[in-house]
Amino acid sequence: MLKEERVILMTHMASYEQNEGKKNVSIGNYFRNDYIAVQVMKSVICATIAFAMVFALFLFYDFESFMQDIYKMDLLAFAKNVLTWYLGTVVVYGVISYGIFSYRYSKARKSLKNYYQNLKKLNAMYHNEQ
Amino acid sequence: MTGLLEFRENIKRFYSKYEVFILPVVKFLLAFIVLNTLNSKLGYMNRLDNIAITLIVSLACSFLPVTGLVFLAALFSLAHMYALSMEVAIVGICLYLVMFLLFFRFSPKESLVVVLTPLLFALRIPYVMPLAMGLLGTPASAVSVGFGVTAYYLMQAVMTNAPTISTMEDAEAIARLRLIIDGFIGNKAMIVMVVAFAITVEAVYIIRRMSMDHSWSIAIVAGALLDMMIVMVGDLLYDTNMPVAGVILGSILAAAVAKVIEFFRFCVDYSRTEKVQFEDDEYYYYVKAVPKMSVSTPSKTVKTINTQSRSVVTERTVYDRPGERARTQRPAGRSVTVGSNIPSEEDDFEELF
Repeated sequence: MLKEERVILMTHMASYEQNEGKKNVSIGNYFRNDYIAVQVMKSVICATIAFAMVFALFLFYDFESFMQDIYKMDLLAFAKNVLTWYLGTVVVYGVISYGIFSYRYSKARKSLKNYYQNLKKLNAMYHNEQ
Repeated sequence: MTGLLEFRENIKRFYSKYEVFILPVVKFLLAFIVLNTLNSKLGYMNRLDNIAITLIVSLACSFLPVTGLVFLAALFSLAHMYALSMEVAIVGICLYLVMFLLFFRFSPKESLVVVLTPLLFALRIPYVMPLAMGLLGTPASAVSVGFGVTAYYLMQAVMTNAPTISTMEDAEAIARLRLIIDGFIGNKAMIVMVVAFAITVEAVYIIRRMSMDHSWSIAIVAGALLDMMIVMVGDLLYDTNMPVAGVILGSILAAAVAKVIEFFRFCVDYSRTEKVQFEDDEYYYYVKAVPKMSVSTPSKTVKTINTQSRSVVTERTVYDRPGERARTQRPAGRSVTVGSNIPSEEDDFEELF
């Protein structure tokens, strides 16, 4: 049987699921560590691609002098230098990503708390009707 | 003031009623203006510089999410850069990808700033952007505004160096790349603008969040002045050749636009009609939830007549907010404005006599 109170609650919940809750529900499907690990991993990949592009641009910019000096320069020291820059970029970006996604996860969980309470309430309504 | 508030409520009501039509039209117009500006400023690819293509792409943008417009605008600019020279396009791709990979994956909605900032630069009112983002955005908006400025100065570098690049021979690929990177990174005006805009966004954000009266207005004025000051100091230090009159006029105009944004800021925060579908074991539900309109319209006039000490008749127009009771009851002899629709921190509680 239809009950007005139940339909209103369901409408509110469906509206939440369709709008701001959409993202939160997908975040809520993960455990905290899993969610943050996946997102930080994506950040590391993005930072790697960005670094590679900027590095390639830097090489092309100085291509002639780089090719002239390539036999004279200490390639190991150059590689170490590049690796240090790369690790620095990735670590800094990873730490920022960790902070942002930890915050987002806790915010999503808070938002979902109310949603889960409503789910329980809805369940209780169905039980009472039966 | 009440007339303006009514006007705002009417716009809000109109928008929520016809949102389905207004939003695509606004997106279409924005896309059309952006793409036309790109064509007129860059316009190296003749095939794209065609009103039919611009119209079709704008039409597509009207049905796509905002990020679609950003993506298509980026593609348009890259195509123009590619038509000029592949090296220029490579620099453009690198810049756009770094922006999207490192920042806009966190807040895709703010990517619109990258499109709007160059557009405002083209319209000669870029100073609106830091004020608007300080008022409506978050502290992280400083980064998106910074990227917007960078995108504009990349296009500026392309436009400035285009005649030289087009006369260069094919073998001079690295020289072309160098020319465009030097023209872009070595531009002191860009650095001054990025710093000025970033500081302005943060300052406006901090001031408007302060718990004091008229914090939004103070934030606008302080932001405009700060922005102007930093740009001028930067001009003196780095000799960027900024037109002083342009900076002053642009800042005044930006403050005026920011004031309009402040006035309409609640329009975007309205509750809309929801159409939701769900089901349980017995039924399928197709629900259309229509919000009760919270439109304030003049509804009654309060007449207060004081016959004890002196005979005074005052008339005040009272605005009703549905779902909220008239909050103030005063003894005879006083007239009060009840339940105006001005935001709570600015609630106009006015005692006469």
